[in-house]
Amino acid sequence: MLLPAIVLFLILNLLVGLWRIYRGPTAADRMLSALLFGSTTVAILLLLSEWQQQPALKVAAMIFAMLAAVISIAFVALQQGIKTGATGAVDDGTEP
Amino acid sequence: MSLVIDLVLAISLVVLAWQTLIGRSLFRGLVMFVVFGLTLAMIWARLGSPDLAMAEAAIGTGVTGAMLMVAYWRLRRAVPEAAEERVPRRPLLAATIGVLAAVLVAAIGLTTLSVLGPGGVAGYALAEALPETGLGNPITGVLVVFRNLDTLLEVAVLLAAYVGARAAMGEDSAALPLPPAQDAPLVGALVAVLVPLGLLVALYLFKAGSQDPGGAFQAGAMLAALAVVLMLAGRLRPAPEPGVWMGFALIVGTAVFSLIGVAVMAWGQPLLAIPGMWAVYVIEAAMMVSIGVTLALLFSGSAGLGVRSRS
Amino acid sequence: MMVLTWLAYALLVAGALFYLAGTVGLLRFPDALSRLHALTKADNVGLLLICLGLGILSQSPRQALLLLLIWLLALTAATVSAHLIARRALEDSAEGRSALNDLSGEPGP
Repeated sequence: MLLPAIVLFLILNLLVGLWRIYRGPTAADRMLSALLFGSTTVAILLLLSEWQQQPALKVAAMIFAMLAAVISIAFVALQQGIKTGATGAVDDGTEP
Repeated sequence: MSLVIDLVLAISLVVLAWQTLIGRSLFRGLVMFVVFGLTLAMIWARLGSPDLAMAEAAIGTGVTGAMLMVAYWRLRRAVPEAAEERVPRRPLLAATIGVLAAVLVAAIGLTTLSVLGPGGVAGYALAEALPETGLGNPITGVLVVFRNLDTLLEVAVLLAAYVGARAAMGEDSAALPLPPAQDAPLVGALVAVLVPLGLLVALYLFKAGSQDPGGAFQAGAMLAALAVVLMLAGRLRPAPEPGVWMGFALIVGTAVFSLIGVAVMAWGQPLLAIPGMWAVYVIEAAMMVSIGVTLALLFSGSAGLGVRSRS
Repeated sequence: MMVLTWLAYALLVAGALFYLAGTVGLLRFPDALSRLHALTKADNVGLLLICLGLGILSQSPRQALLLLLIWLLALTAATVSAHLIARRALEDSAEGRSALNDLSGEPGP
């Protein structure tokens, strides 16, 4: 009985935190909310794995934990690209 | 309690979808879409589908999230005012489509409620036929053995999508840069930890797919996510020419599947009858490679990938 | 073992409270850097407590080890993500930029 209660509590946490994505004001604010929600999702999946007795959900949680950083790296690359106007690799037909 | 959880998740999914599409800020919609993906994964978990939760994790977090960010950046470079444009409001059209969609969802929902569960006819037949294939995962059984025509066509559609995307770019294929490579020391350390481990996870997903949740799609999506990380960190770069191995990797999934499916006819079997567990592994391996490479190339928008050595 | 089960439940509740603290910080703190500070507590400690609680409940060393691995991975990813976002947030603000310039100067005395 405790496990589903905690799952619901964490989901409500996530929903309340959506307000920060809505308000911003900066892109970094929105991004770090997404970070928190990624971690919340990992926790919820782990709890669901125990409650529903499905160990494979732990593997799904692991994939989330590993790949959460990908979006953050993409975000800072995006911000750096906007600020400096620089580009990274370009597929422009020239040899390396 | 479980009903409350499911209701809250369902309502938040709709709210997130609404917030993704509405509003002035494209970036806000982007982040809402990422959270939408997270909520979707939780819903798959609640529906008892670890396979789909894994696939959503790998594709939604690793590939689509980064792809949308890069697309947003390219949009801002090309058309700066488009990123902050107001969405034109058409309330009457939106209401009509909304009502139609709600009716459709209600119809599907009521139909599935009246259909028998896993104990029904199709589920019963599947449970009977599965042990003969040697597989323990019914989803892999359906995907690779029983309804494999759908899977074959899906892999072919993925290839067609890539070809279509390249064709749509046309002369602009040289104008699709990636954002600046992240050279910060921590990124290098993360890549050094993440990529080998990610490879292990991908191989585990591939191997586990026969008996436990997992399979070629999840493994391929994981590989694509690793390629995305390497591209963002500057270790891989888009290349103008595909090279032999890249072209081979793109088509190997469709080709191997079709080849085995047609070759069995020489032994009197019907089309696409799978001859044994070895065929399942070979087909899944080929699909994993194709899916991973195609998704990675869809992210970079280029014809191929090249390695950039640390000089 | 009743004591262990209650301990596990206590750990789970504590973990959930850390997530609550993270959300409260996310909503109430004044700027991006302090919000980042709040949510990394939830990320690291909250997830640790939940993994510990679930590890006890699972009663299987293999599952507990998997949970530990998941926590370590989440820790690594969250650390790098937080650092990158913080650096970006710093470069967005004027006093942050001057602080960054000071840090990249010569080593101190």
